[in-house]
Amino acid sequence: MTTRIWDGPSAGDAPTTRRSFLRNSVAAAGGITALAAALSPLRELAGQADFSVAQFLQKHYKEMSAQEMEAALERIRSEVERRYEIRPHVRDIRPQAGVEFVYALNLSRCIGCRRCVYACVEENNQSREPQIQYIRVLEMPRGTLDLEKGNHHYDRPTVPDASHFYLPVQCHQCANPPCVKVCPVEATWQEPDGITVIDYDWCIGCRYCEAACPYWARRFNFAEPSVPADQINPEMSYLSNRPRPKGVMEKCHFCLHRTREGRLPACLEACPTGARKFGNVLDPDSEVSQILKTKRVLVLKEEVGTLPRFFYYFDERYPRGLDPDAAPIAESLGHLPAPDDPAPTEHHS
Amino acid sequence: MGRDDAWEPERIEEGDGESRGDRSTSVASLASPSSPPTAPWLVWLIGPLFVALGAWFVTASPLPEIPLGTPASVPPGSLNPVPFARPGADLPEVVIGGYDHRCNECHRFFDSPPIERRTLTQHTDIELEHGLNNRCFNCHDVRNRELLVLYDGTRLSFDQVPRLCAQCHGTVYRDWQRGTHGKTLGSWDAESGRQRRLGCNDCHNPHAPAYPPFRPLPAPDTLRMGNQSIAHAHGARHEPLRRWSSDGAGHGGSVRHDRTGDHADPNAPLGGKEHP
Repeated sequence: MTTRIWDGPSAGDAPTTRRSFLRNSVAAAGGITALAAALSPLRELAGQADFSVAQFLQKHYKEMSAQEMEAALERIRSEVERRYEIRPHVRDIRPQAGVEFVYALNLSRCIGCRRCVYACVEENNQSREPQIQYIRVLEMPRGTLDLEKGNHHYDRPTVPDASHFYLPVQCHQCANPPCVKVCPVEATWQEPDGITVIDYDWCIGCRYCEAACPYWARRFNFAEPSVPADQINPEMSYLSNRPRPKGVMEKCHFCLHRTREGRLPACLEACPTGARKFGNVLDPDSEVSQILKTKRVLVLKEEVGTLPRFFYYFDERYPRGLDPDAAPIAESLGHLPAPDDPAPTEHHS
Repeated sequence: MGRDDAWEPERIEEGDGESRGDRSTSVASLASPSSPPTAPWLVWLIGPLFVALGAWFVTASPLPEIPLGTPASVPPGSLNPVPFARPGADLPEVVIGGYDHRCNECHRFFDSPPIERRTLTQHTDIELEHGLNNRCFNCHDVRNRELLVLYDGTRLSFDQVPRLCAQCHGTVYRDWQRGTHGKTLGSWDAESGRQRRLGCNDCHNPHAPAYPPFRPLPAPDTLRMGNQSIAHAHGARHEPLRRWSSDGAGHGGSVRHDRTGDHADPNAPLGGKEHP
């Protein structure tokens, strides 16, 4: 029945006293300051040269028309030019028909020199500080494939070490990728040539995919990536090595800006031992097809059902049973019964 | 007076509100600065606290800064696609007195004993460590030093090295033919015509073919892959987003490239790089 009419700040039963005025002033000042504090991150956003309305309004990669993609590429070019003072060559390169990429890595040849790691960093404009590396080279004790026993911090005067083998791990471009399934905004997906890509402008940085990946292959930009301007690779593409902003995921993409044009990934070219092999698995004569046919091949964590497109293989350097290293390794692992012992009978079927 | 009249019903309503407020928590009454029964000292405590906190939020950097160090980079030349590129691999030449000489300019005048092992007076830079294959003329033609020779006497030019090696290394040669051993550059697509298959002596020194040891490039010092064991060793707690340098100085360390010593020639494996 009653209608309140605001009648000035002192309306009400409590008349304005010095005490209430001061108290209200303190409360108001506190409220305004708290509001300013809450909005203060916007200052940083406004000061950021890379923030633009065009990027904010940009559509998902799959929904962009040719004109919209060209506009997005032009925006990326001008941003790179402003930040690094070079005019990059940014393109959107689509997959080739009839091609499915597969990687194979020869564990008998890899010596753990980490050339691939840094070739990848240079090719793909990864942040130098803080560092981001797509490839992690595990030093594994010989005789086991238990990844828990691997160590990527090894720091030896020379490699390889006789009692270890080396297992580089990067994105396996799974045919059944758990990282794609968990993405809440579909910022990552699998392309027809088998490469799982990320739209860096669509990623919200929730890091679900990082948690879902059983190979620890995804990297997050916790800080603003920094690349020295003289080390920028100007050959860029939208889905691969264009500069990434802070707060998005990135990962190995088989150098798609190179491989979709027939070239080889940077990690492969830098490998001094030829342990890395790359090619089209749909071509029965390609090197990777030959490896899958003729070599002993394995994938990591086969039991989790990710169906990786990254295979590891061995050379048989000695006829079976004649490898001089095999017996001491097997003995050190307790896999070989001593000559006098009867055959182990603990196995129950 | 009219004013008092106008607000008469209001007072009744406020009284209702007050009684409801009494039943609710005391926090609600604290939050309303116009309700007299609240403890004023709390407001005096919280108000300046908010002001100070707000001022700190605004003046201080809004997000924690991750300290930046020296950008990581690798020594130039360490990522050469051809591991041991040897200029003139197909053209055996020797520099004597500042002039290039073809081998046969001298060797057609000098005979060499074909089988015996002896101490060389020339080519002393060559260290022959090729297992049982320890005779020069197993591979080099004894009459024409610009050619190689197979076991059956067939002569080969220096660009046909794989055929020579295949005499003993048959399984590796088979793998090399398939592309499962060795290195292919240029393209993954054989039909592109851009493929370049490296030969045996592009990677292996034929006189000492075992692969030499390498200096590894620096271990990762990334935010999540940095060496946490170093932090643990110094009694620090586990902080996966913080980098630790091995001297225990804490975060923000730059990448050290000299941890393996001399990096003057980063691509150099230790010994055995130089092809004769």
